Parts: sequence; structure tokens; C-alpha cells
Amino acid sequence: MDGKLEVSLDRLPVKRLDAIEENGLEHFPPDVGYDEKRLSLIRRIDFAWAIEKDDNKKQKKSSKESSKPWQWQGMVENLQLAHQELSIIIDLINTVEANDAVTVAGMTRPKPLPNEVLSDLSVSAATKLQCFRHLGKYFKQSAKALEQQVAREARFYGALIRLQQNWKVKRQRGAASAPGSEGFTIDLFDNSLYDPAAVFRPSSLSTVRVDHDSAGMLSINLPPNSYRSLQFGFSGPHTDDSLREPFKMKTSSTRESEKESVSDDECVKETHSLLREVHQAIFDEQVFDLVSREAFNPSLGVNVTGIQENYLQMSIGQGTSVFISITPSSQGDQTVESSGTQNLDNAILPLDTLDGVMLPEEEQDTPKQKWGLPNRVSYEIYLQQIFHEHVFLRAKDRPIYAGNRISGQGAKDGCGLLVHFCMSLSHRIFSNKVLMELDNVVCRVPYLQLISHPTWHSRTSSWTLFMKVPQSILHAGCLAHTSNNHCVKNVIKCQFRTKVVVNDDCINVEGEGAPNVVGLFKGNSEEISSMNRYNCDLADLSVIILQQVASQIIGWLHEEALLVGIKVNRDFLCLSFELEQGETLSLVAHVDPEDTRGCISWWLVMDDSFNEERELRIDISDGASEYKKFLGHLSLDVLYSTLMDLVSLCCGGGSL
Amino acid sequence: MNKGGAGGVGGGGSGGSGGGSGPTAAAAAAAAQKQKTLLQRVDADIGSIVDNFTHLVNVSRVNDLPVRNSQEAFMMEMRAARMVQTADSLLKLVSELKQTAIFSGFASLNDHVEQRTAEFNQQAEKTDHMLARIGEEAAASLKELELHYFSSTQRASDTPQL
Repeated sequence: MDGKLEVSLDRLPVKRLDAIEENGLEHFPPDVGYDEKRLSLIRRIDFAWAIEKDDNKKQKKSSKESSKPWQWQGMVENLQLAHQELSIIIDLINTVEANDAVTVAGMTRPKPLPNEVLSDLSVSAATKLQCFRHLGKYFKQSAKALEQQVAREARFYGALIRLQQNWKVKRQRGAASAPGSEGFTIDLFDNSLYDPAAVFRPSSLSTVRVDHDSAGMLSINLPPNSYRSLQFGFSGPHTDDSLREPFKMKTSSTRESEKESVSDDECVKETHSLLREVHQAIFDEQVFDLVSREAFNPSLGVNVTGIQENYLQMSIGQGTSVFISITPSSQGDQTVESSGTQNLDNAILPLDTLDGVMLPEEEQDTPKQKWGLPNRVSYEIYLQQIFHEHVFLRAKDRPIYAGNRISGQGAKDGCGLLVHFCMSLSHRIFSNKVLMELDNVVCRVPYLQLISHPTWHSRTSSWTLFMKVPQSILHAGCLAHTSNNHCVKNVIKCQFRTKVVVNDDCINVEGEGAPNVVGLFKGNSEEISSMNRYNCDLADLSVIILQQVASQIIGWLHEEALLVGIKVNRDFLCLSFELEQGETLSLVAHVDPEDTRGCISWWLVMDDSFNEERELRIDISDGASEYKKFLGHLSLDVLYSTLMDLVSLCCGGGSL
Repeated sequence: MNKGGAGGVGGGGSGGSGGGSGPTAAAAAAAAQKQKTLLQRVDADIGSIVDNFTHLVNVSRVNDLPVRNSQEAFMMEMRAARMVQTADSLLKLVSELKQTAIFSGFASLNDHVEQRTAEFNQQAEKTDHMLARIGEEAAASLKELELHYFSSTQRASDTPQL
């Protein structure tokens, strides 16, 4: 407030005459009420100074702010003014109504102008259009999401249908563990076995859960090392077979990373492969279970020598031990080998059956070492095959195809399969040794040939030792005399065969050879050479064979001598010529399997019955004694020539 | 190879189907009821979609009252959400049908299994014949090789000279 103070004085409260009529009536102004007095007093207050002050403040503020006005400043001020006027009006109305002096009859909205109507309409239309556009975007997003869902489901169910063609797919109702998995499982357990007693407990791998991967495709996740494979091998220091490489494990992590780049077909194929591996692992576990059960049944040929968890060691004879184990597929060779070695030490049962195991230093040189043990992998497959065919396939219809190699062999029921397998393996090892012996003999006897006869029987092996002798020079002449049966018979025999058959670990030798006792007494050559059949041991096999061959040669020489009309006597390995003066000249065969120059050597022995004292002077060690001469390792041609020489000697009657 | 006898059955309708003698009367009635239910669901969903879309089109008129326009905006959002929900329900119904087809298509499954069984038997027979032929060829080759070896100069040089 300024220093100036303006004072105004009211009029004196004197009633002043407004008007007077002619008759003298005076009119005075009406009395003013209390409220009116108040109002008039209020009106008399001059608020101009306050208003001016406010205006000055506003001007100052606006000058202080930026010189450029805000574009909505005018609208804001108008709204503020409108708000003030409305407030004043509302206060007035409320005051008037409070005093009951005046009541508000009604308010009418001012009639909108045409431009206001159109603007309101356009705002509403724009709002609605915006709403529809928003809905359009929403529909597009939803359509896209639903299309993706449809595509994901199409891929998933397409793959599931393809899997169902080969596998048993089950659905767990209401057991979906994760959203979107629908609780599908694949059951790999085969409960249609033939023998109810052989029903196996379902493995933990039997039920495989089907999941979705990040792309919505079907996937099967298996933890690492969850399934195992059957391992078969030979245990002992002389084994040098390398174990087969483990399966290449396809883990879920690698599968998910690769799935984006592979097609659905490849994904389904990989799933098929994985399921097949798991199915095979279940089969391997069942085989191991069966083998374990059978191993502890008392039986010949199989002795359990070591046992651990998922590991079984057995002695099968022939100084050989084998092991069967179930190992995780991801383990490497070294791990399995080391575990196999450790198991020998940690076995519960005493290892007392390894006495017959041949240590490397005990074996001889290369020719005997070259056969070794059979192929480990082939027998692993054989083990699986016989169990599969005779335990698992019996429940189903037996295949119509022929060629079941096990049919008709040995004990084929479920109880004897392991015994049959071990005996087959033992036979293979033994037959290899037999073959080695025969090969050694054949290598050292040039006129002997070895012919193998595959028997296609897992416990039988057969060979033939074949010897072809030179044809007689009188063969052509005797053929002209076809009516002479004796002659024809004598010249027909130019081939000699000795058959060696091994059944399990029994060696049977059959062939012409040693004359029988009856034939010797009768003196008939036809009775002497007869087919013999007898068993022998492995240690005596070489000697037996050589004796058989030597006797066949003696028999042949004997026949040749008889053919030319010379009287000769035949012993087992000796052919004796009678000379004049009672002397006897003998051609004697000597067999020695260890002779590296030739296993069959020949001696010429002079037997003078009138000079017995001379025989005492024979130096046996000296082959050049006058009563005993070493001829050496002669071929058949040379033997035949020697025979002819001896014949001529007998005919000529010359002396030595 | 596992047989394709599926364990789970789609929904609960055809679970009582007989083994090999065909569906029983109860199973056929259940299947018919299931089919009827599905058709009703389909009809309901399609009707819902059509109804909601019709309402969406009907509220496209612009009213004078802004209040009504706002009210209609909320209703449009609600109708759109219902449409999407119904579409999702239809897709779930399709998934159920696919699962039913997977687990109830016994005829086709059995045919396929039998076909595969015949194929595998044939393959096993062929393999067996091949193995037999290989064995015979191996035996013949072995015999021939033995004959050649024992009549060859190599054997003569290997054996001790007489």
C-alpha cells in the first residue's frame, strides 16, 4: 500500500426527501436492509490496487521467462479465466441458494456451433479408427503366434507319428511335467518273452520321455552314461585283443545345438538311432542277466572265477578265462582294460583256475603262436545272437527262413546256452591248436596236403590230410587187363586220405594205416590195410598222423612190390624183402614231429640171421653202419625208385 | 522290434475297444458320443468367433456421445480377446484330434507293423541266405587256395627240400 491513503466519506444518514406530491405527501427512499448495506459496503472497497499489483507481478514473470510464448499459453490462460469465472458463479449460486433468496431454476447448455459439432465427430471417428487399428495389430500378432504354434505342433506330431511306426508310444494323461510336453513316453520294454521265468524287471531305460526342444521339435534327452553295452573279452596276460570302440554318445546338449541346422527327417533318424541304441542296451543288460543266472548253475565247462558289479569272469577250459561285463557306452578302451585287470585282483572268488594259462614265455616260437585266440568281437556277436534267437525269439513266431545254424546243435534250451557258448569257444581254441599241429606236420612233409572241411558247426571241426602217390609204371599195363580184378584193385589206390575230426575237445583220426591183427594173421594184404578210427590226444596227434602217413606209404610200396611179383613182408612201418641166403632187407620209416628237415625219414636195415654177433657191433648213433643205413627224408618218387632198386636186388640175387 | 500296440488312447472315448474282434457296442456308443461332443465344441467355437466378429463390425458406427464411444472401445477389446481365445481353443481341439489319431489308429498301425515284420523277416531270410552263400564261397575259395598253395612253387620252397 502506498503512502497515499484516500478516504471517502459517506453521506450522512439523513433521510433525504426524494419527491413531494401536490397534496403534500412526501416520498422518502426505502430503508436499506442489512445485507444490502453489507453488499454496498463491500462494493465500495476498491480492489484496483490489488489487481494492479497482480498484473505487475505477472508482467514481471513473463518478462523474466523466455521471450517466445508457449503455444498453449493462450489456451491455458483462457481455461484459467474460465475456471475463475465458473468458480465465482458457483460461489454466487451457492450463496444465493444458501440464503434461500433465490433458487436456480435450470441451466441450459449453449447450443454448439457447427464447427464444434464436426470437430467432436472427427475426434470420435479418429478414436474409433485408432481402436480398430489397435485391434488389427492384436489380431495379426495372435495369428502369427497361432501359426507358429500350429507349425510347431505339426512338426512335433509328424515326428511322433513317424516314431510310432517303429516304437511303442504311450501317453501319460495329466502327467505332463512341463508345459508342452503332453506327457508322451516311448516304452522300449519287450514283455513277450517265451519263458515266464525269464521275465526281466523293466530296466530304468525302458521308458523314455518325449520332450520338446527350443524349436518345438520332438527330442529325447538321456543323461550321459545312462545306458550300457555288453563287453566280452579274454582275460589273462596272453590276450592282446583290443576292445571295440565305444558308442558315440549323442547327448542332449549336442543334439539341441545341432537341431537347428538339421532337417526334420534327419532329426527323426537320429531319434530312431538313439532309441535303437537304448533298445540294444536293454537287450545287452538282459543278456548279461541271463548269463549271470546260468553261470552259477553247476555245469561242466563253465566255472565262475571272478565276480563284481556288472562283471563276470569265467574259466572255460583250455587254460582260457573270459569275462563278460556291462560298461557304459561312453567309457574308453583304457578304462575298460584297466577295470578288467583290476577285477582279476579284486575278485571275490579265488583265482585258482589260471594254472593252465600259458604265459608268453612258455610258448614256443612264431609258428605255434600265430593262431592265438579267436576273434573277440565275433564271439561277442555270437553270444548275443544265440541268446536272442533262443530266448527272445521263441515268444514270437519263429521266422520262416531256413538256415538256423544253431538248430540241431547241442543243448539249445535257455539253461544250456551259456554252456554251449563256452564249449564252442573252447572248441575253437582247441581246434586252433589242432590246426597248428597239423600245419606243422604238413609244412615239413612235402607230399602231404591239408584240406579244410568247414562243418558250419560251432563245436565240430574237420580236416583231411591228403597224399597222392606216383602212379605205378605198370598202371597202363594193368589197365589193359581189366578182367584182373586183383590188379585193378591194386593200382586204384593212388590217393590216401587221413581224416581228422574234432568234436569239442576230442580228436578222432580216421584213415588207412596200421594193419589190424586179424589181417596180419591171415596174411592177406587186403585185410591189412583197413580203415581205422581212433581217438588221440593233442600231444600225440603229430606222431599219430605221421605214423598214419608213413604206414600208408609202406602200404603203397607194399602194393607196388606185390604188383611186380616180389614177395615182401609188411610190418607197421617196415617193408621187408627176403634176399638169398636168408637175409632180410628192410625199408623202415622213422617219424619225428620235431625234425625240422622232414618229419618222416627212412632207414635201410639189413637183418642177417646168421650173423647175430654183428648186430651187437652196430653203432646206433652212426647212421652209416653197414647193417643200418640212413637214407634220409625221401620223396615219394625217390622211394618208388628205391623200391625198384630193392626189387631188382631181390631179383638179381646180388649181395650188398 | 516293438509291436505298435499303443497304450494311451486319445481322450477317453475309444479306450474300451476290443482286442481283435472289433469295437464293442459300448465302445461304438462312446465313440459316437465323443464325436458328438467334439462337433459341439467346434460349432460353439465357430459360433463364438462369428458372433464376436459381428459385434465388432456392428460397433464401427461413430456415436455422438463420447461416453458411448469409450464404452464401445472396451467392448471391442473384449470381443477381440474372446476371438483369439476361441481360436486357441480350436487349435487345442485339433491337437486332441491328432493325438486321438496317433493312439487310436490301430488298423493302420497293425497293418504297418505287419508290413514291417514281413519286411524284416524277408531281410533276415535274405541275410541268412547271403551268409550261407558267403560261407559256401569262403569254403570253395579256401579249398581252391589250399589246392593252389600246395601245388605252387612257394610251398615247394617253404618245405624242406628232399
